[in-house]
Amino acid sequence: MSGKTDYILGVFDDEDILLSAIKSVRNDGLKIHEVYSPFPVHGIDDFLGYKRSRLSIVAFMFGLLGTTLALAMQIGMMGVDWPMIIGGKDFIPFPSFIPVTFELTVLFASFGMVGTFFVISNLKPWGKAKIFDKRITDDKHIMAIDLSKNDMDYASISKLLSANGATEVNDKTL
Amino acid sequence: MTSESVIREPLVTGGKTVHDVTEDISSRVEEKPAKLWLIAMALSLGMLTVGVYCVATLLWEGIGMWGLNKTVGWAWDITNFVWWVGIGHAGTLISAVLLLFRQRWRMSINRAAEAMTIFAVICALQFPILHMGRPWLGFYWALPLPNTFGSLWVNFNSPLLWDVFAISTYFSVSLVFWFIGLIPDFATIRDRATNKVSATIYGILSFGWDGAARTWSRYETVALVLAGLATPLVLSVHTIVSFDFATSVIPGWHTTIFPPYFVAGAIFSGFAMVLTLLLITRKVYKLEDYITIQHIELMNIVIIITGSIVGVAYITELFIAWYSGVEAEQYAFLNRVSGPYWWAYASMMTCNVLSPQLFWFRKIRTNLAATFVLSIVVNIGMWFERFVIIVTSLHRDFLPSSWAMFYPTRYDVGVYLFTFGLFFTTFFLFAKFFPVINMAEVKSIIKSTGEKKVAE
Amino acid sequence: MKETKKYWKGLEQLNNTEDFQKYSNKEFPEYLPTIGEGEEPSRRDFLKLMGFGVAAVSLAACETPIKKAIPYVKKPDTVDPTIPNYYASSYISGNDYCSVVVKTREGRPIKIEGNKLSAVSGGGTTPQVEASVLSLYDENRLKYPQIGGKKTTWDDLDKEVSKALASGSKITLVSYSIFSPSTKAAIDDLMAKYSNVDLVTYDPISFSGTLDAYEVAFGKRALPSIDFSTAETIVSFGADFLGAWPNRTLSNKQFAASRKLGDIKKTMSRLYAFESNLSLTGANADYRVLIKPSEEIAYLSSLYNELASKKGAPSIGGTTKPANSEKLKKAATDLLKSKSSVVVSGTNDKDVQLLVIAINDLLGNYSTTIDTSKAVNLRSGNDAEFNAFVDGLNSGAVTGAIFMNCNPVYDHARGMDIVSGLSKASFSLSTSLFPDETGSLTKMQAPEHHYLESWNDFEPVTGALSMSQPSISKIFDTRQLGSSILAWSDSEVDYYDFLRINWETKVFPTANQSEYYNFDAFWDNCLHDGVYTLPSTESTSVKPSINVASLNLPKSKAGDLELVVYQNNTVADGTMANNPWLQEMPEPLTKATWDNYLTVSPKQVEEWGIEIGDMSTQTVNLTIDGKSVEVPVMPQPGQAYGTIGLAIGYGRTSAGKVADGVGVNAYQFIKNANGYSSLATTDGVKVEKVGNPYRIGQTQTTHTYMGRETIIQESILSKYKKDPQAGRNFPRIATSEGFKKPNAVSLWSGHEYPNHHWGLMVDLNSCTGCGTCTIACQTENNIPVVGKQEVLNRREMHWIRIDRYYSTDATEGNAMEIASENPEVTFQPMMCQQCNNAPCETVCPVAATTHSSEGLNQMTYNRCIGTRYCANNCPYKVRRFNWFKYHDNKQFDKNSSMNNDLGKMVLNPDVTVRARGVMEKCTFCVQRIQAGKLEAKRENRRPVDGEFTSACASSCPSEALVFGDMKNPNSQISQRLKIKQGDKMVEAEEARAYHVLEELRVMPNVWYLTKIRNKDENPTKEAEAANAHA
Repeated sequence: MSGKTDYILGVFDDEDILLSAIKSVRNDGLKIHEVYSPFPVHGIDDFLGYKRSRLSIVAFMFGLLGTTLALAMQIGMMGVDWPMIIGGKDFIPFPSFIPVTFELTVLFASFGMVGTFFVISNLKPWGKAKIFDKRITDDKHIMAIDLSKNDMDYASISKLLSANGATEVNDKTL
Repeated sequence: MTSESVIREPLVTGGKTVHDVTEDISSRVEEKPAKLWLIAMALSLGMLTVGVYCVATLLWEGIGMWGLNKTVGWAWDITNFVWWVGIGHAGTLISAVLLLFRQRWRMSINRAAEAMTIFAVICALQFPILHMGRPWLGFYWALPLPNTFGSLWVNFNSPLLWDVFAISTYFSVSLVFWFIGLIPDFATIRDRATNKVSATIYGILSFGWDGAARTWSRYETVALVLAGLATPLVLSVHTIVSFDFATSVIPGWHTTIFPPYFVAGAIFSGFAMVLTLLLITRKVYKLEDYITIQHIELMNIVIIITGSIVGVAYITELFIAWYSGVEAEQYAFLNRVSGPYWWAYASMMTCNVLSPQLFWFRKIRTNLAATFVLSIVVNIGMWFERFVIIVTSLHRDFLPSSWAMFYPTRYDVGVYLFTFGLFFTTFFLFAKFFPVINMAEVKSIIKSTGEKKVAE
Repeated sequence: MKETKKYWKGLEQLNNTEDFQKYSNKEFPEYLPTIGEGEEPSRRDFLKLMGFGVAAVSLAACETPIKKAIPYVKKPDTVDPTIPNYYASSYISGNDYCSVVVKTREGRPIKIEGNKLSAVSGGGTTPQVEASVLSLYDENRLKYPQIGGKKTTWDDLDKEVSKALASGSKITLVSYSIFSPSTKAAIDDLMAKYSNVDLVTYDPISFSGTLDAYEVAFGKRALPSIDFSTAETIVSFGADFLGAWPNRTLSNKQFAASRKLGDIKKTMSRLYAFESNLSLTGANADYRVLIKPSEEIAYLSSLYNELASKKGAPSIGGTTKPANSEKLKKAATDLLKSKSSVVVSGTNDKDVQLLVIAINDLLGNYSTTIDTSKAVNLRSGNDAEFNAFVDGLNSGAVTGAIFMNCNPVYDHARGMDIVSGLSKASFSLSTSLFPDETGSLTKMQAPEHHYLESWNDFEPVTGALSMSQPSISKIFDTRQLGSSILAWSDSEVDYYDFLRINWETKVFPTANQSEYYNFDAFWDNCLHDGVYTLPSTESTSVKPSINVASLNLPKSKAGDLELVVYQNNTVADGTMANNPWLQEMPEPLTKATWDNYLTVSPKQVEEWGIEIGDMSTQTVNLTIDGKSVEVPVMPQPGQAYGTIGLAIGYGRTSAGKVADGVGVNAYQFIKNANGYSSLATTDGVKVEKVGNPYRIGQTQTTHTYMGRETIIQESILSKYKKDPQAGRNFPRIATSEGFKKPNAVSLWSGHEYPNHHWGLMVDLNSCTGCGTCTIACQTENNIPVVGKQEVLNRREMHWIRIDRYYSTDATEGNAMEIASENPEVTFQPMMCQQCNNAPCETVCPVAATTHSSEGLNQMTYNRCIGTRYCANNCPYKVRRFNWFKYHDNKQFDKNSSMNNDLGKMVLNPDVTVRARGVMEKCTFCVQRIQAGKLEAKRENRRPVDGEFTSACASSCPSEALVFGDMKNPNSQISQRLKIKQGDKMVEAEEARAYHVLEELRVMPNVWYLTKIRNKDENPTKEAEAANAHA
């Protein structure tokens, strides 16, 4: 059925107003689909009740992997596969392995984490962003509310939004 | 932290609104290239062409085109390498370390600084390749690759191999760090795009970014952890570069002080180079409101500190040489100061230790012209530091019988020129087609530390 | 080794027949068919293809390079692919002689070694000998007989020559000293046939005066044999018997022997040198006195009087007191003290030499060190006769000349007169094998074989015969001198038969018949050994008859500037100047290459206002009675003030692309003084500054060792006698547990070398600094010549160099860089030290240089990517880098051993020719080690000490280098160094043995023995400075 509205968008100019708005609308039992901003708004995830990201743990794991692989490679190549007398050092001169091990640890950690981030946030070169309003990459904050997820009706939601400082209230049809 | 806005000078002046930020930065990308930009670009391309000719000759004829000899096996090549790597430190350092310390003033300079890092490292990478006798083999033989001749691995004892890993890791991580920062800004440009082409290109570059709160929160974690990883990385890179010398047996190279001394030197020269470039960008793009005198002053302070650290290192070297009682070591330093290369040592001392002390005067460190000149002087000094370490140590080592002088040829100069061409070309391309200031981050501080508009 | 499953190679192995056991270790078992016998096509083809090398040699003479391999139809049974053959022969260049063994591969001579069986040359070689093999393949060689510059056939040429000879007009045969009995015989036949032919001999550096003196004193015009090995005191007046004398391989050996020190022998000779130029001999002297040539008479005569007064012999009147009489008195007392001694002088003057004879006679040396019965025939030239010939040529009395392998136009002071004379001569012919200044003027050219292509015999020392046999068939259409002479005297026999007949009739009868059942056996034996000594006739010490009163010693006027022409040990007399190896060899003292120059005392250089920079100098005009040349100045510490030196052998004009235009010709300044060619010009020497900038390529520009005791450790005999460790320096490392020996501090557990542990010992006391090892190494290891410009860029490639250090008067600071006015000299051969903890190995990113399980520091050329990190990190700076492509590269065409097809014949097939951009260095001649081990393995035995050695060690005339297996307790090196097997590494317990830069704990496999000088405790001024370091 055409003309049916899916989302109501509250447009905010100021991040502080936005935050307070989030707080109050949630108190009024409104389910927020997502908030879109041109820059990171501090503390917004607490207001929206998002849990802290576990990406740092991912980084640590990848780091461990890097360390292991690095040591395995160096010991394997110099100590096991083809030992050579080099400068009178032992076949497995551990001190010499530290730099490469460190570097590979960092390499794995950072690439592992960033990779994971891209995947879970669905960021990819050919990715098409779902943009409710182009201004969110400029200076506007948008609070998107999914009608189907809320039992409140259109009018009361828009009223609630403007009451909480939304400069405009638009609706978005997909 | 919010209090800092109260006591501190505003970081963004001219009462900019969030929208102004978008306008000021994005329009630089969208509008036709400025006349100044075209001139600068032409100059760098010219340099690049001359450089390419010299590189080609070098590759065709052999390393003999340089002035190297049986005694001095490295000179300009590795000097330039270390110099560029050093310069390539500021960017990541500014973004990473200052991010960890929550230094907000970084925000308007880190983008350019990181870009500079990337390009400087690319220039640095030219030399390990070009300085090889057989680069056509060396560029991949230096990697631990299995090969058809049976087991033929690399030597993990060699600091040069550590360099291979350190530099490539540093390069790729910095690149990622930089790109992560760019994604939201690309999105901004994408959404402002008026023509199809830029829409597609920036669309691809922005990886389909939708500023969702959830993404932003992950984004910030990533930024923070990357910073945490990049900081030790930055320090490790020049540490490992310094191992090239520190782990050898040559008097003047064989020194435990090198790692901290090199890192300080790297930050020193890095900041100087950032200043040089920012002052130009600031002028060309009229970004006075974003890159304020305060930024410049803060960076100058970093330069005084690191410059002094380097100075202390020089003195310590001399003391240790005397104190060690090692004949060759003592001579190596006597020779640095009073030998045939005394002039190189003198210029190093003047440029690196004396000149930065001028920044103690507020007048000088807040003066753009003075800063610009000194930032260049510092980098000249840092080049001489590496030259002194490499050449004066090699040219007179243990056996007097093989002492020799080093005389550069025009190909030594030409290949150095090549990297300059490369550096500026890439940097100007960046300045034109990428947002030179991290919009998203600056926007986030407009409210807290932006100068309030004066109500008329 | 745990028992693993066995598979048989065949039934033979299963039932393990006697045959099988016999052949199992042989490479080519006899039961396999070889060429000739049984038909085994595959194997035959294999041998055919492999055998092509010999064919390639003769084919290479063609103009176009041969790209095809032409296999033998039948393989010569003496030539096995990859197996070298050795032939004993005699090296001859100009009047230079050495008994040698020629190494050939697939029929190509590639290396010359000293003949250890020769008592005359003592088993060592000289740089010229080592380099001579490259001259064989010199593309500038004359390739065919010519008349009037046009190619001709030998028959036509012979007709022409015979016509000229028969014409009856006066024809003179000109030659250097002839000491080949058969050649002499052939010439005599020719002169017997044609009364109008006579013979004149001369020498570039003439000994005519000495010869005449001996004729007067002993009735025989011949040089005596001098034995330096037994002399306790040696006094030399400008006689460079180590660097320039005939047969110097022996004098080096003997001198070194007299300086050897060990547990038993704690004595050594003392050498006084009174000279103007710093010669090799002077550099090895214990006491060196700077004199002007004009002062020599004063010194000699007062030395004579000093001795005479003690011995109660009549003294000479009217002598002037020498400047440094205190040193002279000291010499005199030493001479009187010592049981045996030698006094020699380089002055080519009859009366001066008579005085020297008188002195030696006073000392009774004619019954100890000097033996007139063993005449040295290497120099017999006669200045008077030669001058007469030149005059005759110009006056028209002589209408024709045949120059037999000699080049007087270039190498005689009267060269210009000969040029003018030749234009008048109706007939002139040159037989030299290289293009030269004389040959370019003669009407005919009958090019001679290279000595490696020739049959010949020699009698360098009376009673000691030496064979020369071809080790390769002639490369060009040349003909041996002997054959030419025979042809011209219409003799039917060919020179080879002539030679045999001579030996059968003259030599064989003297041999002990019971040893050889017929002449062929005797002949083969002589060919095999290369030398044959006639049963010695009892040498009776004859007393010279000299009336010292009647001597009229030359009253040479002392000028304020005096010139001494000298011969250096690189291009020597210039006969082989077109040999790039010699041109690029660093002159032992100045370390200069590719040039000659005026050696001037630094003080004088300053006075002349010559600007001296890093290898840069300025030119001056040297003028002596009309003749003038512009020549660069080389400041030379140890050059007597008021004297200048100039080396012969340079300034060639038509010798080939390598030699032409290098330096100036010094022969023209050899002065005719009282009928003798004198090297010294005492008056009328004018030098004025021109000031054109000039660069001289030197491989070492520094003078002193900056008092670094960890490099040079030296002392004096008296101290050594008290404490064998005298002069040693023991670096210690400060650790938490106090001071420790560097070797005691380590992070690693180290590696053991189970089988062999190769080492090299360098006795600084034996090394005379002659530089032969450098060229021997260059020949053996295919080391490229890089040319003057690259030497100026400090990129010479020599794997072994000889560091030359002067003493200094300063004791600290940069002032120590300045050498003393009359310095003591120390030579230190420096090659890869094969460190067991090699810094170079650690830093190579691609592991291109690693350590072998036999202690060798290996260089893997094809893995090297050329970062040069290893060279930077080498404390000894012995690694060399291929900055350019030095082979097959027009830019480096002077590197003739790699840039033309003929020159490439000299390359050693066992050693890679290195590519551009790779590092290279001394390998201890690993190819020789491997070959030796393989040989031993095939014979199921351990390698025997001395059966193979490095090229440098085998060439060293003074036996200063000893190479061997330090794991073998009986090897010479283990014995000399008193090697103790440590838990992992070996330790040398010899008190004199030390490692250069021991404090670095790189643990080299090269050991040096301290340098001991035979000086008195109370040192003289320059010695003080030296001892301040030592």
